[in-house]
Amino acid sequence: MMSEVIVVTSGKGGVGKTTTTANLGTGLAAAGHKAVLVDADIGLRNLDVVLGLENRIVYDITNVTDKQIPYRKAIIKDKRYENLFLLPAAQTKDKTAVSPDQMKELCDDLRQEFEYVIIDCPAGIEQGFKNAIAGADRAIVVTTPEVSAVRDADRIIGLLEANELRDPKLIVNRLRYNMVKAGDMMSIDDILDILAVELLGVVPEDEMVVITTNRGETVVQDDKSRSGQAYRNIVRRMNGEQVPLMDLQEGGILKKLRKFMGMK
Amino acid sequence: MENSYKNQDRHSNGVEETAGDENTILIKRTLRSGQRLHYDGNVVVMGDVNPGAEIMASGNIIVMGQLRGVVHAGAGGNEKAIVMSFRLAPTQLRIANHITRPPDGDTQETDRPEIASIKNGVVTIELFNVSIDRQHR
Repeated sequence: MMSEVIVVTSGKGGVGKTTTTANLGTGLAAAGHKAVLVDADIGLRNLDVVLGLENRIVYDITNVTDKQIPYRKAIIKDKRYENLFLLPAAQTKDKTAVSPDQMKELCDDLRQEFEYVIIDCPAGIEQGFKNAIAGADRAIVVTTPEVSAVRDADRIIGLLEANELRDPKLIVNRLRYNMVKAGDMMSIDDILDILAVELLGVVPEDEMVVITTNRGETVVQDDKSRSGQAYRNIVRRMNGEQVPLMDLQEGGILKKLRKFMGMK
Repeated sequence: MENSYKNQDRHSNGVEETAGDENTILIKRTLRSGQRLHYDGNVVVMGDVNPGAEIMASGNIIVMGQLRGVVHAGAGGNEKAIVMSFRLAPTQLRIANHITRPPDGDTQETDRPEIASIKNGVVTIELFNVSIDRQHR
């Protein structure tokens, strides 16, 4: 089986790594792929909360890496998708509870069973980052259109390259088209000009992300939302499909619809 | 321990009046996310237990505040252990080797103290009410 271990990382905190991980995982599962999401943010776990699975946790990643239990005992099946699983982080420990070698071993175990292993990387460039990328085949870098986030993304891309993770793919999150048009926000071109990596997708700012996250759901399941559409497009691109970037212009439903039909 | 049952109206809610020879620890603060308390005996928290916090006790757990985190009473296998809180809304509640979680969807929260114990092999949550509990016994 062809399987991939993908780390979702950003350097800066709060740009949407966890949201992206949850949405990509859900999207891949909805498209029929067997996926496991690994929360590598030990001590500040969130992925379980975002997926609404917090109250099902009995064992966590450190129990697996310490060889107390097999990973099958620790992974939690998603509420909605039979083929989506979560390996939760430990909340009461810190990043040093796991070593890069242990992560590598874990990823190699998981890749035997799952088509996609998606690792939610903690913010920062310290131990947690090193753990998260240790077993990955490729990386997805998430950034927002802010100078600080782009600066950190640049640093992360450099560090990934130094660790033999070349050609990371970029997701630009929380883009506000109207602000870009007014020249008040960095545009996709501005960002790509600095980072010079392949663009995997652009997710517009969307309050549905907040609404669904608070419910323990993911926006990718919401057929109507623009951000959900963006995530679904990203999932299709991950599977090798050529999907053009969606029209980010706000308003003009007819125009959007026409464009959308044209895309299909 | 059994002889403590003689005087029925002096104890209630399944709490062993003489809780073995276990110790009891008093925590005079709120347990926050990531904080974990592992204690061989009973635990009384004068504060809240927030989501992400965890208490494991071989005896009973009493939270004089909101219980929203994970608790494990009777962690050594004591099925007579109880969990009590002024506001019982745990992420997950374990007693001995029983694990429960609240049902999915909206759960109604009560503003009254509640007590969780094992009854007929299942974890049961009831309002903490001394007089009703006496009738049970």
